[in-house]
Amino acid sequence: MRLSRVLLVFLTLTAGWFDRTSAQESGIAVGAQAPVVTVNDLDGKPVDLGQYIGKKPVFLEFWATWCELCEELQPQVRAAQAAYGSKVEFIGVNVTVNQSPQRVRKYLETHKPGFRTLYDTEGTSIRAYKVPATSYVVIVDRAGKVAYTGSGGTQDFERVLRTVTQDQSTPAGMK
Amino acid sequence: MMRVSGLFLALTACLAAASPMTAQDRTEPVRARVQGGPDIDQRAPDFSLPWANRDGVGPIESPYQLASDRGKTVVVAFYPRDFTKGCTAQMRTFAEQYDSLFGPNVVLVAISSDSVQTHGRFAASLGLPFRLLSDPDQRVSKQYASKDSEGYNRRTVYVVGPDGRVRFRNMSFNALDPKDYSELRGAVRKAARGS
Repeated sequence: MRLSRVLLVFLTLTAGWFDRTSAQESGIAVGAQAPVVTVNDLDGKPVDLGQYIGKKPVFLEFWATWCELCEELQPQVRAAQAAYGSKVEFIGVNVTVNQSPQRVRKYLETHKPGFRTLYDTEGTSIRAYKVPATSYVVIVDRAGKVAYTGSGGTQDFERVLRTVTQDQSTPAGMK
Repeated sequence: MMRVSGLFLALTACLAAASPMTAQDRTEPVRARVQGGPDIDQRAPDFSLPWANRDGVGPIESPYQLASDRGKTVVVAFYPRDFTKGCTAQMRTFAEQYDSLFGPNVVLVAISSDSVQTHGRFAASLGLPFRLLSDPDQRVSKQYASKDSEGYNRRTVYVVGPDGRVRFRNMSFNALDPKDYSELRGAVRKAARGS
């Protein structure tokens, strides 16, 4: 009797938590298996992320040309790519909402963001990674597990990149 | 009692371990599950709310009333909060692709719990060509099953046909998913045709 009362109280108190786990825009959980999806590049050619995920660390950023935070984040991404680009696959997935391939190409010419650009016209990766906002970064470790998620113009992913590449020294050029 | 406490602690520990805190958790409102709200073919509940647009706050004596647009297709979009990342992306897309998504004879209104003053600043910052309605006590959001448990709205979209009935609804609209926008475009066209 007492046990069931305690459990009832517990379940009532944690009901809100379960709602959080079904959040509409919460992003993929750290520790989850990274979804392997196919996304087109800017020429419309399919790129299977399975060629990287589970084989080497992957840095994914979901971005758009109109995203100010993505632009703010660019120097940090460029520095990370310069430091870890030989060990980590850097991919920028353009969310394609309010975008066109021409607009994205023009932007890439001037901004050179430091990643290979994919163009997700179907929103496949947006749904698979539960992308809550542009500037959303997901780092996947060599085993294919999500090791980091975050968003914003400044992010703290250096430590995670160091861990997933099993390199404890801070490469030159990183903050 | 020891066994009960142990069980409680173990369950709490499991939940804590399975709950990674990310930057997103700290910056974005959290939403609850969907329940109720007017379904397809049901009459859309009427409401009247104060509004603002890019030109400023609307007259207090002239709130927006859904019933006043009977005979037109009306898109009612609930969203969490002005000036947040997802909402900025959604409203900017609605504004920049207005003709393609909605067309000239369709009315779009977007609803959050922000004040009309905040709405005015948000609409002006993005040049939004449609009204933002203020629902501070979330009375309307609740009627449309778009109120979450923490004082924000869920991101949902309803298309109300010229006859005042719901013709389409997306109860988990994703501001970054191109598929959600193309489905909305198709639903608006279908509702406007009256089919």
